[in-house]
Amino acid sequence: MLTAENLVKEYKDLRAVDNVSFNVLPGRIFGLLGPNGAGKTTTIRTILNIIRPTSGRVLFDGEPINENFFNIIGYLPEERGLYKKSKVIDVILYFAELKNMQKKDALHEADKWLKKLELKDYRHKKIEELSKGNQQKVQFITSIIHNPKLLVFDEPFSGFDPINQQIIREIITSFAADGKTIILCTHQMDTAEKLCADIFLINKGKEVCSGSLSSIKKMSGTNTVKIMFEGDGSFISSLPYVSKTEKTNSHLEVTLHEGMLPKDFLKEIMPLISITHFSVVEPTLDKIFIDSIRGNQ
Amino acid sequence: MKKILTIARWEYIEKVRTKTFIISMFVTPAIILLFSLAPTWFSRNAEESTRAYGIIDSSGIFFRPLKSDLEEVMMKNGQPKFVIINLYNKDENFIMVKKTADADVLRNKLEGYILILNGGTDKTRVEFRSRGSGSFDDISKIEEIFNKVKNKFLLQNAGVDSSVISASMRYVTVNPIKIEKNGKESKADFITLFFTSFIFIMLLMMMILSTGNMLVRSLLEEKSNRLIEILVSSCTQKELLAGKVMALSGLGFTQIFIWTMLGLVSTGAALVPMNVFDNIMPMMFYFILGYVFYVSIFVGIGSVCSTEQEAQQITSYISIILTMPVIFSLTAIEYPGSLLVRILSYIPFTTASIMILRLKIETITMWEYFTTVGIMIVSIYVTIISSAKLFKIGILSYGKRPSVKELVRWIREK
Repeated sequence: MLTAENLVKEYKDLRAVDNVSFNVLPGRIFGLLGPNGAGKTTTIRTILNIIRPTSGRVLFDGEPINENFFNIIGYLPEERGLYKKSKVIDVILYFAELKNMQKKDALHEADKWLKKLELKDYRHKKIEELSKGNQQKVQFITSIIHNPKLLVFDEPFSGFDPINQQIIREIITSFAADGKTIILCTHQMDTAEKLCADIFLINKGKEVCSGSLSSIKKMSGTNTVKIMFEGDGSFISSLPYVSKTEKTNSHLEVTLHEGMLPKDFLKEIMPLISITHFSVVEPTLDKIFIDSIRGNQ
Repeated sequence: MKKILTIARWEYIEKVRTKTFIISMFVTPAIILLFSLAPTWFSRNAEESTRAYGIIDSSGIFFRPLKSDLEEVMMKNGQPKFVIINLYNKDENFIMVKKTADADVLRNKLEGYILILNGGTDKTRVEFRSRGSGSFDDISKIEEIFNKVKNKFLLQNAGVDSSVISASMRYVTVNPIKIEKNGKESKADFITLFFTSFIFIMLLMMMILSTGNMLVRSLLEEKSNRLIEILVSSCTQKELLAGKVMALSGLGFTQIFIWTMLGLVSTGAALVPMNVFDNIMPMMFYFILGYVFYVSIFVGIGSVCSTEQEAQQITSYISIILTMPVIFSLTAIEYPGSLLVRILSYIPFTTASIMILRLKIETITMWEYFTTVGIMIVSIYVTIISSAKLFKIGILSYGKRPSVKELVRWIREK
């Protein structure tokens, strides 16, 4: 388990990370989400011991993270790039060796991953000869080749086509199933929603909300309903307990005031129009994200 | 340590394979050889044709002896160097003669002429009149011969015996001899001295610039594509820095090795005189000290840059500092013991080059060896420590270039 305790990182006139604490459990993908400039990268750098926090500490299985942990860390930064003039296999082996892998094991693993990611034919090609997507795959391999216990992926899907996104998603999910500790940073809320078991939302260096995905969804309330009906429903938007309506060509989404339960709302409108469909809408992570950031501002 | 070696090996192989390195390895000595040999070659070839000069001597005293002495001067190919023509005719007006001669020079009929004014008096003046400033070599030859002729004339007039005159005319040269502690002495030949020390300084300069540039560029690449973040999450910054410096030193040694081989081959081919290799050990030692000193500066400064432009700016500043010893090398050869040269020997930026120069032209005392080497070692230590600090923060900072004040703060930070 990875534990961040009261992390603070201050720069001259900026508090990039402001008293942040969380736990990342093995086997559960932890989503570190936030808008641009929220402090995600600084948090990651602190976790990875690339920069020292102003105060607070990071523990892995109860021990403070230091240089002895380098070999069990796998890191894929948001901005990508490799040694362009070097051969694919050489680059992979260099990073594997930097993680203290034996050359024999590194070669074996490299071939396994190259095959899995359909890069076998590019083994001896120079990085610059590869397409952008394939370069990204090579970089992905360099971050996981040493079978790390702690994985940090910053926007791992950017630059991949949907097919490759799916492949990477499956690999990350399999890592979680193997009991690895995984931190995933992303802007793609639908991906986070599909992959992450736990969420930590950060803005301006501070925690906005955190917890398991299901509990966050529950917390965000269920006061939006979707209805389909026959007849004139224009009066709905002017009802006193309705705060917002949104019409699409097939249905109407109604957001209710706090305290108004969906079943009571249904009772109220039943006599007035002929309802063909009624359901409670679960908020998407995207919506929770936007609402929380706005509410936080 | 294993990681340092992994990094060093990677960096070394990556860079040694680059075209830049391979080109600089062979092109640098070629350029230097060309620069040092071309002027000699050209001046040798420029000598191939005989020059026709006129003489206007209204006194009539100097024309004959001057003509015969000047026409005796031979070029290396055995041909006479000068052909002398009399331009003076006592029936013509002196002013007119001069005017015609000037016009002939301008019209390219004549390459130049010697104008002797007030010949035979205390106020004798000589001009060499030509379209340009005249060949330096020719003028000094004419000057030498004119004075000889003039003195001979004066002595003859005073009734001095001809044997005494010819004995007094014999020119005695002063040979510079360099004495060394172990009783060795060697002929200090200006040209060889100049070229050998110059070549060494140029090699040092080119080597620092080419490898320094390579280092800054690769750091920039790693910074811009965030590879540096993966690296520092795999090893400590100190290991990364040590690996890089080790690889660069390896590159330096590879270059020295290949250049030494080329040097030996060219000595064998008699292209380079053997005495180039006098004092080679201490020279190499200063060479390495200078190289390591500059490389550690490059590492620190390079890690602060985030754009190609900034990097170019900084490398051009460093090259200015690097060319300083080249500029001062002439002064150092002319006045080996001068205060300026002494002061420059103790400034770490110029110590290596100036000492390489001085090792060739004078005997260095033990005390000077110790202090200069001491200064270099302390400076290298200080630059490595400061560079390591700059490196630690610099490699992870992007965007705006930090101000000097910020850099100082980074260095001071614990």
